[in-house]
Amino acid sequence: MTKGGSGGTNIGSWGTNRVHADIDALKGFHEALVRFRYAQRGVAERGGDQIEMTRASLAAKASRWQSRLEQCHAELDACRAGGGEEAADCSAYVRAVEQTGERLEHIRRWQQRVDIEASEFGGTAGAYLDLLDSDLPRAESQLLAIITSLEAARRVPAAET
Amino acid sequence: MTARPDRDGAEQLGLLGTAWEEAAQHWQDEVARQFDADHWTPLAQRSRAYLEALGTLLDVLETAERDTEF
Repeated sequence: MTKGGSGGTNIGSWGTNRVHADIDALKGFHEALVRFRYAQRGVAERGGDQIEMTRASLAAKASRWQSRLEQCHAELDACRAGGGEEAADCSAYVRAVEQTGERLEHIRRWQQRVDIEASEFGGTAGAYLDLLDSDLPRAESQLLAIITSLEAARRVPAAET
Repeated sequence: MTARPDRDGAEQLGLLGTAWEEAAQHWQDEVARQFDADHWTPLAQRSRAYLEALGTLLDVLETAERDTEF
């Protein structure tokens, strides 16, 4: 600690009140670390949920526009088949097929981009979860050991001056 | 409306930073410096990097949703 040293039990001229304040501050930090670990796990889970929700949403949109494209093709085919001797003007159906196809492609490009971005993020997220699950509990344990050591030191009377 | 997880995470990191500063005011020996180097600084840096990456990804997801509303 500041003047006594957290690695041992020597309080020296450092007052007992000071030890109390230090221990309280360390306990506060330890509690904050534990809260942080749980909170960040929640953050990571919500991040994963967002990825899955967006993937599902894009898949639903792609499916909807795929159905619409098939419908547009069917309407165009019907137009072309129903003209009789005179060639029917099917240009509106052609435009509908083109526009619907473009929208479907646009959604598919977004699906690919989301997959790529999510995959790249997965590496960062995995490493961070390891930190939360392994490194952080180790830090918490070390801090607890330091607090325990200080509390033991607190029970040793301060040296007389 | 639910807050974005990256922003919640940044808020939590800010609270932890405040708790660390409070502890560091009282704890300035070699063990504290070691704890800072071994645990606190890597944790803070990696948390910031993770939250930034998450924020970037969430921006992409939001844009994807908006850009595919026809």
